[in-house]
Amino acid sequence: MASKFGLAGGIPERRVRPIWDAIDSRQFKNALKITTTLLSKHHNSPYALALKALILERMGKPDEALSVCLNAKELLYKNESLLMDDLTLSTLQIVFQRLDHLELATSCYEHACGKFPNNLELMMGLFNCYVREYSFVKQQQTAIKMYKLVGEERFLLWAVCSIQLQVLCGNGGEKLLLLAEGLLKKHVASHGLHEPEALIVYFSILEQQTKYGDALDILGGKLGSLLIVEVDKLRIQGKLLARAGDYAAAANVYQKILELCGDDWEAFLHYLGCLFEDDSSWSCETINASINSPKFVECKLAHLTDEVFNSCVENASAFVQKLQAETSNDSLRNPYLAHLEIERRKCLFRKNNDDGVIEVLLQYYSRFGHLACFTSDIEAFLQVLSQEKKIEFLDKLMKNSSSLSAVPTKALGQSITLLKTQELIGNMFRLSVAELEGSAVQMAELYCKNIPLSKDLDPQESMHGEELLSIACNVLVQLFWRTRDLGYFIEAIMVLEFGLAIKRYAWQHKILLLHLYSYFGALSLAYERYKSLDVKNILMETVSHHILPQMLASPLWADLSNLLKDYLKFMDDHFRESADLTFLAYRHRNYSKVIEFVQFKERLQHSNQYLVVRVEAPILQLKQNADNIEEEESILESLKCGIDFVELSNEIGSKSLIFNEDFQSRPWWTPTTEINYLLGPFEGISYYPKENLTKERETSVRGLVERKSLLPRMIYLSIQSASVLFKDSSDTNGSLADHKTSLELKSLLERYAKLLGFSLNDAIDVVMGVSRGLKTYEVFGSDVIDWLNFAVFFNAWSLNSNEFGQHEGKRTPVSWQLVNSLLENYVLSKLRSMGPLIQSPQGDLPKLVQAVTEPLAWHGVVIQSCVRSCVPSGKKKKKSGSTGQSISLLSHAVRDAIQSLCSILEEIVRWSQDQIKSPEDNKIDILVSSLKTNGQNGGPGHVFHILETLASSPNETELGNWISQALRAWSPVDVGRKIITGQSRVLSEFCRICESKIKALKSLKQQIAQV
Amino acid sequence: MVCIRKATMDDLLAMQACNLLCLPENYQMKYYLYHILSWPQLLYVAEDYNGRIAGYVLAKMDEESNECHGHITSLSVLRTHRKLGLATKHMSAAQAAMEQVFGAEYVSLHVRKSNRAAFNLYTQTLGYKIHDVEAKYYADGEDAYDMRKQLKAKQSHQHSHHHHHHHGGGCCSGEARSTQVTQTRGDSKMETKTSTKSNSKAG
Repeated sequence: MASKFGLAGGIPERRVRPIWDAIDSRQFKNALKITTTLLSKHHNSPYALALKALILERMGKPDEALSVCLNAKELLYKNESLLMDDLTLSTLQIVFQRLDHLELATSCYEHACGKFPNNLELMMGLFNCYVREYSFVKQQQTAIKMYKLVGEERFLLWAVCSIQLQVLCGNGGEKLLLLAEGLLKKHVASHGLHEPEALIVYFSILEQQTKYGDALDILGGKLGSLLIVEVDKLRIQGKLLARAGDYAAAANVYQKILELCGDDWEAFLHYLGCLFEDDSSWSCETINASINSPKFVECKLAHLTDEVFNSCVENASAFVQKLQAETSNDSLRNPYLAHLEIERRKCLFRKNNDDGVIEVLLQYYSRFGHLACFTSDIEAFLQVLSQEKKIEFLDKLMKNSSSLSAVPTKALGQSITLLKTQELIGNMFRLSVAELEGSAVQMAELYCKNIPLSKDLDPQESMHGEELLSIACNVLVQLFWRTRDLGYFIEAIMVLEFGLAIKRYAWQHKILLLHLYSYFGALSLAYERYKSLDVKNILMETVSHHILPQMLASPLWADLSNLLKDYLKFMDDHFRESADLTFLAYRHRNYSKVIEFVQFKERLQHSNQYLVVRVEAPILQLKQNADNIEEEESILESLKCGIDFVELSNEIGSKSLIFNEDFQSRPWWTPTTEINYLLGPFEGISYYPKENLTKERETSVRGLVERKSLLPRMIYLSIQSASVLFKDSSDTNGSLADHKTSLELKSLLERYAKLLGFSLNDAIDVVMGVSRGLKTYEVFGSDVIDWLNFAVFFNAWSLNSNEFGQHEGKRTPVSWQLVNSLLENYVLSKLRSMGPLIQSPQGDLPKLVQAVTEPLAWHGVVIQSCVRSCVPSGKKKKKSGSTGQSISLLSHAVRDAIQSLCSILEEIVRWSQDQIKSPEDNKIDILVSSLKTNGQNGGPGHVFHILETLASSPNETELGNWISQALRAWSPVDVGRKIITGQSRVLSEFCRICESKIKALKSLKQQIAQV
Repeated sequence: MVCIRKATMDDLLAMQACNLLCLPENYQMKYYLYHILSWPQLLYVAEDYNGRIAGYVLAKMDEESNECHGHITSLSVLRTHRKLGLATKHMSAAQAAMEQVFGAEYVSLHVRKSNRAAFNLYTQTLGYKIHDVEAKYYADGEDAYDMRKQLKAKQSHQHSHHHHHHHGGGCCSGEARSTQVTQTRGDSKMETKTSTKSNSKAG
């Protein structure tokens, strides 16, 4: 309204324009100058103040910006005569939002709307504020007001969407849907509807109430013509008919769809569902399905008689045959897959149609066997066959392989399909070592033979036969798992690196390498490979599982910190921005997207990974600062002493977790972040289909987060507990606080023990038993780090508890000795059992790193706290009597603990230094010699040899320019060198962490010597 | 391909993975969101038999020019699913929607000069013509062909009355659709630009 007279917020527009221009060109100082001049004339203009606040915020002065904004807000509220325009309010809103004070923006709009109750523009602004806050009820009320004011369809739909959101994402009851339906009905009666999206929302409201008949009536009526695309309309019609139970009519509709779109697989499944009167294809519409998990089609057939089943199958087969006959396009797979699906249902119904399925599978191969998608197409159909029948199918397929296509790329595709089908069926695990070696060699030969096919490809295109290298790698890794011959492992790396040397875009090679390097202890190199995948945006949610778990247990703190920060930044930015984007959908009248978008935001908010990272990020900070108690305390202070995390741990049981990770791209030997088969002995596994392990993962993630989120608070309380030891006992307030600390730490220890599956007393017995050698570390299972943490915090608690650690009235160092011996025995036995990384992949290195950076570090913090409290500061007089005695006992214990930690750390430093300093050439020799075949038939090196031969004398006319160049540049020794550098970097970082701890401990030793 | 269908929000996770596996280009996520929230009619995915997303097309309506036209922003097909005619189907679906839903007169796109496979698809299979060359269009400095294809915009199709109505008489852009109320902010545009610019729209 203000701009009508060339005014902006009550100020002539020509005076405001230069400010915006300056802001646009990021000349904030200049903008501020002009604004200051403007304010001297219009010192009471909220708009000018809002502009000033905006500029200040941009200049990185949030506090000043907020105070200017509040000033503007106050003026708006106070002065009745002032303009209350959307321009001023929306500018203020922007600043408040950026300052994370949405509620202030909302209250400005609320005030304005109260003052000018019929101003549509202001109401839209207010609606927008509620959208940003996800206040669905208030959204609804505001939208209804706007609708009543101007009667526009879109405002009604805004209200209806807000109602749906209350039902789907809030705590609104389903009765609200009836209200939405009533509103729509009334509007339709008087005005009709004009937006296709409005109709879609109307349908969804009816569907949610199972009023399918009503929806069908509307679709058949005048409003149905709003849907312009014919098949879209048919799809809705088919679904409504089927849900209403009119299967015959629905089947007809789906037939029509298939005649229009021959490749609509979903329509075919619905069609079959309708024939068999089975509604399972509609009931699987779950929002939380993890991404890319293969959808196996569910179906119910048991209710059918033989006769009905047969006649249905006959109808379906006739229809499919008709579709096949009408298909002129050879790439249309749907009619042929439809045939397979019918055979599959026969198999499920009669249980004896295996041969029928095999027959049609073979036909499918002869038509589509050359396609890269063949194996993923047939995966679901193989599921109905027994293992023997699968092998029978494979044997028949192999017999066919003698007649490959005459077109070279097709023949190559068919050969690759055969290999992939073997993998799919799990046949690779039935072969002997010699057979496996033979097949890896064949793959390499096939790859080399077909390289010339790719000579004219663009650099970004994938090579023909590139997959052969991944499959060969899979086989070589299996050989390594079976034989533990490191040569195969290194050969697998070389094969992939060779592929990348030719085509640097091959992402699947990078992912496999990333995992091989992680396992080989060259984590920094793995991280390099990960970074080259250019993972950003939402991919951080779906792809970072490849590297994150390894990084969390690594000494590469700087890289880990970046990884965590980037991820959190993406997620938090998205949450901040997504509300703004929701309004975009309202504005564009894409109502169904409003609902989807809010649900999508919730999906990300419940991400298990988001939860893990939110806990791990502060724990990393605590690890990084553990050598300096003052810094550790200031980190803890910024974490509210860990209270929020304890709450998080309390809530986690009731939270639903969502798994958005894409595990399909993981290698066979580590199908989830929790499993790595290479760490255990060889066993036959069937890794296809990858099992759905979501349930197990959910339990494990919950457990992990529950335990980890207790850590900050336990560290905080341990510091308190260790520092109150020598306070003057006459200070009653102090001792009361000490008592509270002790009680709280005890209750957290109880929780921690419970999470490990024990009562507090039993858990104490377990750690005592292990430390005295009565039990082995095996009792800790995979939770050894948590147990060591438990022992550390238990010791901290006993320092300040009367329940434990007092013996004949004096504090005894039992719990100190407990921690010393637990840590010492654990670390030293690991060091003794681990060979150098270059000869034996990582094994226990991550556990070792965790032991040092977690329990040992926290123990160090406890020691620092003790030393700080018992070293006399200033003029404190020396304590006498029994206090003096216990001080001396304690200072002995602390001295011993320092000594013990130092010797552990020195041992690790020695172990790492030995490896870092060993000459690079020796290490290269180890790597290269493992690949020598020595003229023998078996053993590693044969695949590598084939690739080397090709690279040693590339035929430029045959291979083309760029491939020959790449081959000439290929250097296995460089690969070896990178591995060695990668391993050394990890060891050096670990060493650095240990050395810094040793230094800190030595200085503590000097301090305590004065006591 | 199975099911070329309109994209949903949840497809976004798989769509971006699809991009990782196919394209060196990788847009900001906001850009996808902006598209799906503004022109969901123009965003199609190919869902494969086992539920995986095997490709997608991302398109928009041009908001700035006077001629109503569409623009193909991104087209992507998993390499395991090449040579199945998926790209053609995606393009046809998006073009048809531009024409039928928004009444677009033509459709434009950019393609790397070096991307011969895509160039051939656009010229030979889909009937695009080179309109212009944009120097250094891509982040790595490569030139792009600016290509166009005329759509047979029907003068009056059976639903033109609706179409006319719900676009407020304007062309394609969502902004034009909400003209009944004073526009002081270029909201529909603000999401793709930097926040500085978007805020300046408030002025």
